[in-house]
Amino acid sequence: MSDDVKVDLELDLKGLLCPLPMVKVSQNITNVPVGGVIRAVATDPGAMADIPAWAQSTGNEVLSAEKEGAEFVFLVKRLK
Amino acid sequence: MEAQQLTTLTGVIDKKMNRQLKQYMDICARCAICKDACHQYVGTGDFTYLPARRAELIRQIYKKYFDKAGRFVPALYEARDPDENLLDELYESTYACTGCRRCMYYCPFSIDTAWILSVAKAILIAAGRGNEMLGQLADAAIFKGDNAAMFEGVMLSGFEDISEEVRAITGNPEHQVHVNKEGADILYVALAGAHSIRPAAVIFEEAGESWTISMFEAANYGYFYGDAEKARLITKRYIDEAKRLGVKEIVVPECGHAYRVAEIFYEAWSGEPMPFKVSHILEKVDEYIKAGRITVDRDKIDGTVTYHDPCQIGRNGGVFDAPRDIVRAVTSRFVELTPNREQQWCCGGGGGIVAMEEFKDVRLKSGGKKVEQLKASGASVLACPCENCRLQIEELNEVHGLGLEVWQVIDLVVAAMPFKATPEADAATM
Repeated sequence: MSDDVKVDLELDLKGLLCPLPMVKVSQNITNVPVGGVIRAVATDPGAMADIPAWAQSTGNEVLSAEKEGAEFVFLVKRLK
Repeated sequence: MEAQQLTTLTGVIDKKMNRQLKQYMDICARCAICKDACHQYVGTGDFTYLPARRAELIRQIYKKYFDKAGRFVPALYEARDPDENLLDELYESTYACTGCRRCMYYCPFSIDTAWILSVAKAILIAAGRGNEMLGQLADAAIFKGDNAAMFEGVMLSGFEDISEEVRAITGNPEHQVHVNKEGADILYVALAGAHSIRPAAVIFEEAGESWTISMFEAANYGYFYGDAEKARLITKRYIDEAKRLGVKEIVVPECGHAYRVAEIFYEAWSGEPMPFKVSHILEKVDEYIKAGRITVDRDKIDGTVTYHDPCQIGRNGGVFDAPRDIVRAVTSRFVELTPNREQQWCCGGGGGIVAMEEFKDVRLKSGGKKVEQLKASGASVLACPCENCRLQIEELNEVHGLGLEVWQVIDLVVAAMPFKATPEADAATM
């Protein structure tokens, strides 16, 4: 899916422990335009629940959340 | 300010102010002893962060609306309306506070500024000025709790990955992270990250403990945000889970506020007794070592080791000895920070401040005393059982070039345990 989506901002969240990956995505969501996409790469498995939960509760959208080896890759779209 | 909003804000104060808090409003002698006790005031010299000043803002509103003299002659009694200027100042001073309560320890009247600031947070939330990030973190946690089934798959997959790591560390193919195990003695309520689960699972399994892990986490940003109802909901998820599974005891991880929330605040928020014994994981680990249920080799840890008392576990939670006994069990090269225990300096990372980017400068400046302590100790390894403290001290470590290794206490324990596993697997514990 990531190949089809234009990414506006890359976030390297590797090594950060939860909830910091979610915090960093939240802090950066306004750095992309509405409709824009953040690609975030984390290594803490807790982010697999944290980032989608944050997106749902703030009205944004996780386009994909995939485990790639030891990394967790998220595409997060700003909806508002 | 519109009359309706003013009524709302004064209503919040009226509802929150009990006899103890009203007494705090009257007895502050402006002696300013608290200025030398507060790491933020000492680190910044900024009046905004003086504990007595933080409380004074609430006192000024209180005087205006709940004190006859202040109501009729406000200028004489420094009574103020909660206007935009006051709310701006209140936001800055309140959400920057780490809630360490060192000011209370030194105050001759034991004025609990952190408690007064719980009123300030309620006012700010009612005024639509609660901290956005902390509110988002609290809402995300509540969403996860309300939609647990949505996240069950990724969580079970994560637990299985951690189980494999545990087996690699211990060399025991039977070891695992137990999930939803009815009738277990202990419900371990971890943080979201694997780092708080992996070493705990190693220790529980090696100790032969009857345990299961919670699907919910112990961190509670509703508490930092200042919304007692959100905080209660976040805590209630694992209380209900503990009831469903029929456990005897809840064990919280190396997290400062999580211990205080479960042990102290839940009863106040819910109006019902905490139905389970609550232990900090280090109290359990200390028991296991002393009872011979786990073995640790002394001096497998290189370097001189010191210990930081997280404010919520130490000064505000009363847990001082178990962590020290554990550290002394794994090293003969233990040195204390000075001062320590009840007088320990806050590192500057509590209260959710590490998640609030707007306070980064204040946060780093307020770590000055901790940096002085760490340098004076001569230690090369710091054991610290609180996530927020570790995040702050790791950043201070980098900024000030301290050259410290910052460890969870349970990671030190696992590093000191003899296993059948290979050296490569041992490295996975680091």
